[in-house]
Amino acid sequence: MSHKPLKLIIIAGSKGRVTVKYPYQEPLITPEFRGEIEIDPAKCIGCGACVKACPPNALELLESEKEVILRYFVGRCIFCWRCIDVCPVNAIKGTRNFELATDKHTDLYTLVVHTRTTCEICGKPFETTRMQRYIAEKSPVTEEYASICPDCRKRLLAEAVSARRVGISEHKE
Amino acid sequence: MSIKSSILKRSIWVFHLNTGSCNACDIEILDALTPFHDAERFGVKLVVSPRHADAMLLTGPVTAEALPKVINAIEAMPRPRMIIALGSCGCGGGIWHDTYSTIGGVNKLLEILKERGIVVDAVYYVPGCPIRPEALLYAVALIKGIVSKKREMKIYKAE
Amino acid sequence: MLNLEETTKYIELASKSGGQAKIEGDTVFITIPPDRLVDVADTIFNKYNTSFRVCAGVDERPLNGHFSLVHLFTDDKAGLYVAVKTYLSGESPVAPSITSVVPAADWCEMEARDLLGIEFTGRETYRLVLPPWWPSNLYPLRKETPYNYRPEPRLESEKLGYSREYGVIPLGPYHPALHEPEYFELYVEGERVVDVKYRGFHVHRGVEKLAESRMSYQQVNFLAERICGICGFVHSTCYALAVEKAAKLDVPERAQFIRSIVLEVERIHSHLLLLGVAFHLLGYDAGFMHIWRIRERVMQLAELLTGSRKTYGINLVGGVRRDVNEEKKQKTLEALRELGREFKNFIEVAISVPQVKKRLTGSGVLPREEAVKLSVEGPVARASGVNKDARRDLPYAAYKYVSFKVPVYTEGDNLARVLVRVDEVFESISIIEQLLDKLPGGSILLTDFEIPEGRVGVQVVEAPRGGDIHYVVTGKGAPYRWRVRAPTYANIPALRVMLRDQPLADAPITIASIDPCFSCTDRVVVVRDGRIEEIKLTQLVK
Repeated sequence: MSHKPLKLIIIAGSKGRVTVKYPYQEPLITPEFRGEIEIDPAKCIGCGACVKACPPNALELLESEKEVILRYFVGRCIFCWRCIDVCPVNAIKGTRNFELATDKHTDLYTLVVHTRTTCEICGKPFETTRMQRYIAEKSPVTEEYASICPDCRKRLLAEAVSARRVGISEHKE
Repeated sequence: MSIKSSILKRSIWVFHLNTGSCNACDIEILDALTPFHDAERFGVKLVVSPRHADAMLLTGPVTAEALPKVINAIEAMPRPRMIIALGSCGCGGGIWHDTYSTIGGVNKLLEILKERGIVVDAVYYVPGCPIRPEALLYAVALIKGIVSKKREMKIYKAE
Repeated sequence: MLNLEETTKYIELASKSGGQAKIEGDTVFITIPPDRLVDVADTIFNKYNTSFRVCAGVDERPLNGHFSLVHLFTDDKAGLYVAVKTYLSGESPVAPSITSVVPAADWCEMEARDLLGIEFTGRETYRLVLPPWWPSNLYPLRKETPYNYRPEPRLESEKLGYSREYGVIPLGPYHPALHEPEYFELYVEGERVVDVKYRGFHVHRGVEKLAESRMSYQQVNFLAERICGICGFVHSTCYALAVEKAAKLDVPERAQFIRSIVLEVERIHSHLLLLGVAFHLLGYDAGFMHIWRIRERVMQLAELLTGSRKTYGINLVGGVRRDVNEEKKQKTLEALRELGREFKNFIEVAISVPQVKKRLTGSGVLPREEAVKLSVEGPVARASGVNKDARRDLPYAAYKYVSFKVPVYTEGDNLARVLVRVDEVFESISIIEQLLDKLPGGSILLTDFEIPEGRVGVQVVEAPRGGDIHYVVTGKGAPYRWRVRAPTYANIPALRVMLRDQPLADAPITIASIDPCFSCTDRVVVVRDGRIEEIKLTQLVK
């Protein structure tokens, strides 16, 4: 019993050195690791699906008169990759990058700037140009209909219904 | 810059300040100090009083209840003082950045410190949720100039 | 599967007390008028020998104009959940306190008072969670209060307690023995601790309110995981299981197996962490370093299985996001074999070190009667001879498919609490091996389901620190009410018993021996009023 504590020396000796040499060597990360996300600006349509799914609001849509900006703030990201699951055009890709330390707060942002279209009827700014094209490609609505803002669509529908029953039954916002 | 470089020459002694984090970053800090990653290779030592510290490892979103104590602890640090904000809570308030009982991360804290005339000489941000021990080692290596900065602001124009 | 005899006694009790009862799944819902609450709680807790878990206040004014108060018990022998609900007035809610018959209800009643403004009669009241400067008419969990309304904080610091008879030693809020901001005040007479005052809730982040307002069902999983960075997966599993129970979803078996596997991986990492910290506090730093070296293997295993070293982020309502393939299975088994061998070699040595053995034996004793009275949880209960473990008593996920022993010690001292955890590490390794062996095929995630409004789900999950309970009332797209109670919440009041008459030098290890996890405990609370609290604790001294 009394010599038992000394066995620790044997354990320590048999283990040898375990310390990794990082940062002088590659870090020990598995292929499964979830790191920073990368947004492909060539694919992103600015629909905001990722913004809705993001639990900590690390992805945000900032809207101004002419532009819609998708802002990714890695300083608040929890690396859950829910945005990757929900992106309809696979514009978001996961990486294994975790070396994100910086001394400037602004370094932590990634911005994707989208231009906005205006409503054909009332001239108010609404969805992004890419989004409009995406909708026209993927859904059966006509291009004219896709370029009208939801408010005007509602108004048009109400007018049409009150004038006479016309079939715009597939209408959705 | 001169103040900062005077920190860089020395071994960085750190004080661990948990301002209401979930513990994940805190156990990873401990992990960075244990045999596998061994941050003491770079002279990083965890000290028990802010008065001995060069840098503050700040984890958590700074809760309303912890705020006065956090300010006291930072004020107790000698100049030049450095804050290393760890994890998504420290850097940006994390998942609870806008709830009623947090103040939302280090930037708001810096504003409050400035109002009270407490100078912070340098701030580093280490994102991660939680940070990997390697991410902390990388930050230390960055402060000491062993590695170069990889992350910078990116602005893309998508028509 | 349910024992009919066991459920009938609850139904009879409800009808005798002028209320109703209904059974859904494994939960008995009892609704009774407020004036019978104390009697019913007394019968359920003291006569039927159930465990008291928590009480939850719910603001149901938008639905029916009332506040309600739900007391949750579990009948561990029959495998039943018992939820006792009373409706209170919508304008000025007042409820009778059950602390006279169930002492463990002390904190949760005060929490309901702070956050919802429910007053309690028949007990002393004090502020528990919100900061002392918090406006007294602002109740964060009432539905009309926005989740992001922040009153201007006043920068008031702690005031040290003062005592004529005893010396006062502050421990915290930032102290080398604590890795979280919590404040203990030890009252000492010479070297002996005579009383302890705990002022916690520094880590109150408003989690419950956040889930009820900004988030959606699937997002809350990630929030639940961040309640605690050590046992986070327990919380997200518990939440997901509670919602699935409420919505009666049939989750794929494979997902349940993967959840159980990851839960056990988490348990191993958590126990090794505590053992390391305990050795560190005893001055046996060699042991601390070795155990963290061994633990690193578990962290890498967790990353392999889930994609992250901590806060795994693989739970969703309806299943999990990451599958276990053959390659991962083999790697896991290999890692576990190696881990079991290394841990066995090492722990035999560590436990025989004289300073470890001597200082753990006989210190911080929690007698069995006190453990039952305070409804303590997990290894703390099992070290005091209370044989309870939710994995066996209220089986969830895939635990019904495996066999394992529940280690129970009767000494109730710090050594017993350490040994329970050592035994559990070996049990966990065996559980993972059995689960991997029996892993069924099929999908891992349920898609296309609906969560109806107004359903209730209660779930207990055995965390490394004890039973963790989640109570979910479903709402539109997000939980209407989500109540979380972490095990440390039940264990901290036991510290008063453990620390009394102990040498001061043993205080840190005794505090660590319950494996406190304050971030779990504090989620929803704000601050505590020092003055009122002081009066209360002096009464508790003797």
